[in-house]
Amino acid sequence: MRAWLLTVLAVAGLCAVRSAMAQGNYEIQVYGSDTVPRGNTMLELHSNFTAKGQRYTVQGVYPTNHQQHETIEITQGLNDWSEVGFYIFTSEQDGHALQWVGDHIRPRVRVPDSWHWPIGVSLSTEVGYQRAVYSPDTWTWEIRPILDKSVGRWYFAVNPALERTWHGPDVGQGLGFAPGVKVSYDVNRAVSIGPEYYADYGRLGRFDSLHNQQQQIFLVTDLNVSPKWEINFGAGLGATAATDHLIVKFILGRRFSWKKPSEVE
Amino acid sequence: MENGLLGLEVSDGVQVSVAREPDQLPHRCLIRRSFLTQPRRWNRREFMMATGAAACLGAMGSRAQETPDYIVTIDACTVEASPKHVVRTVGYNGQVPGPLLRLREGRTSTIRVVNRTRSEEIVHWHGLHLPPAIDGAMEEGTPMLAPGATVQFQMTPQPAGFRWYHTHTFAGNDLRKAQYSGQHGFLYVESANEPGKYDAEHFLALHDWNGYLTGGDDGSMNPTYDISTVNGRMLGYGEPIRVKQGQRVLFHILNSSPTEVHWVALAGHTFHVIALDGNPVATPSSAAMLRLAPAERVSAWVEMNHPGVWVLGEVRKHIQASGMGAVIEYAGSSKKPAWLQPAALAWDYAQFGTADADAAIASYVEEIPLILESRFKGHGAQERWMINGKSYPDTDMPVLVQGRRYRLRFQNKSMDDHPMHLHRHTFELRELAGGKRTRGVMKDTVLVPAGAETAVEFTASNPGLSLLHCHQQNHMDMGFMMVFRYA
Repeated sequence: MRAWLLTVLAVAGLCAVRSAMAQGNYEIQVYGSDTVPRGNTMLELHSNFTAKGQRYTVQGVYPTNHQQHETIEITQGLNDWSEVGFYIFTSEQDGHALQWVGDHIRPRVRVPDSWHWPIGVSLSTEVGYQRAVYSPDTWTWEIRPILDKSVGRWYFAVNPALERTWHGPDVGQGLGFAPGVKVSYDVNRAVSIGPEYYADYGRLGRFDSLHNQQQQIFLVTDLNVSPKWEINFGAGLGATAATDHLIVKFILGRRFSWKKPSEVE
Repeated sequence: MENGLLGLEVSDGVQVSVAREPDQLPHRCLIRRSFLTQPRRWNRREFMMATGAAACLGAMGSRAQETPDYIVTIDACTVEASPKHVVRTVGYNGQVPGPLLRLREGRTSTIRVVNRTRSEEIVHWHGLHLPPAIDGAMEEGTPMLAPGATVQFQMTPQPAGFRWYHTHTFAGNDLRKAQYSGQHGFLYVESANEPGKYDAEHFLALHDWNGYLTGGDDGSMNPTYDISTVNGRMLGYGEPIRVKQGQRVLFHILNSSPTEVHWVALAGHTFHVIALDGNPVATPSSAAMLRLAPAERVSAWVEMNHPGVWVLGEVRKHIQASGMGAVIEYAGSSKKPAWLQPAALAWDYAQFGTADADAAIASYVEEIPLILESRFKGHGAQERWMINGKSYPDTDMPVLVQGRRYRLRFQNKSMDDHPMHLHRHTFELRELAGGKRTRGVMKDTVLVPAGAETAVEFTASNPGLSLLHCHQQNHMDMGFMMVFRYA
């Protein structure tokens, strides 16, 4: 299995291509390396409100200001080192009611615990469609390496994602670099707090000017109230002109096991 | 004191001898005596550093006073759990488990221990009532055995029954050391009236290997294992245990796992439990499966009345799939080993107790409440463990009066079960989870369930420092210990 998994990681890396639009403000999350266990399903609701964003319609794309994004994410564990996730993106704002935005699918593999690597490593690839009124680039692909590590009360995660547009104005732009970073500190067993950083620097090897880059930093709280539940919320500021300036995010997740719990399992 | 050996008379019939240079005797002796007489509390790292001086003791080679009954050599060895699962570890006499030591109750025996590793080591004689100088816990004052050193123990073992010996060092985050290694072996103390009502006898050790730390249900890092074995072999890769129809086969089963509770069953058969932790139970009775917490032992015979080829293994599927099992093969049978999956886990200490569970054993029993809890140190760390709010070496040191009866009331306020082990004494189970009372079950290790209370009683009959600790290696490393001393 080790050789097969390494091959998947290598091929996926070689195939990485540019996408102009990342997950936008539909799913604002730095991934950890863990995958959903086999026989389990994770259901998440991502609610993101752009309190201060783009106010004008630009080239037929709706303004982001006061958009409420609701994203449903369903992730199914396949085995102890892989999962597949499916997204339904929606948006609601004055004058546009609740609108379907698009869907993505996201297979992911990780280095199994039994390899005893000193850090968590996984690789996600995501492909999907979104309507042009919400993103001029309608078909996009993302490859996202995921590295994380817990040290005492500290948790570190890095997602140096590469994106490519398959269909849309940015199709000729090649690979874009859109990293995400999370640092958190365990205040106690149930509460962790820390910053999350999201960016889109533009084309790999020829980054956009700072003015045109997307840079966001969130202050986030994770509540670890139960192994069955995931709760994450925070507020983020956009630091550049190309970034929405204030976003509030909330993630509520519930894990389901479809097997009847057995004490002899 | 002949032949360069340092001999310490500890009590009648007990002597420990360490090889040494003749001109270094006074200094070394002084160091050791300080451990024997002062109830100073050391943490495990401090003790290892302090006893670095003892390293010199072992560098002089072994010159025994007499021919030992057994020689136990601590050295690197390889465990081939299966052709695809080979573990490089440390064991006794190049084998895992170590050699079976059969001693006679009341007869003085000599065991020579040679440390051929590059680390300080120590051997604990688990379940025996030995003086602290040789019991095998540095917290009680037993000297560490330096790399290259040899030590010779003279002991008059008691009580009779199924005991074991194992390392008692610190592992921390190195999940290859201490009890995570292969340093464990069987020790059987034969009584003068050994009944021997069986046709065959087998000693089995359950162990887990290749541990690594992962996030646990309690939110902290806990060990998980790749490999589980019976006598160092994964299911299907050891020699079958060959039996004959009509035989009564006695199994002595030890859980030597560093951290894991195990449940075992023999497909198609029933265990008849006669002893727990080597001590005969008040009410021998049948059990479909056995539960063994780390350090616990069960002695049970099985009537071989169901011919075929069967699996004796872990009841939980994922652990049996990791290798914990052995094949039981009847003479004349050659089928594929069969397993019958139980639907539930069932084990109750109380079924082996007497009917008069409420009867008082002593007119006065002094109760010592012990609150077991942990302090969260982060999702990326192991928890810090405490007894009555303090971690070793800062834990209280209760004072025992010889001859007095004590009740240890464990109040487990943590999210984990804990196998609590008292050195140098045997205790009696009195109250189990849910307030169920019992008596007549004598043990040295008891599993205290998460969120529950358990009470045990013992008579203070063996003066000297006595260590109480959780037998999970990761918990004792993180402070889950305390020492009793006698007034």
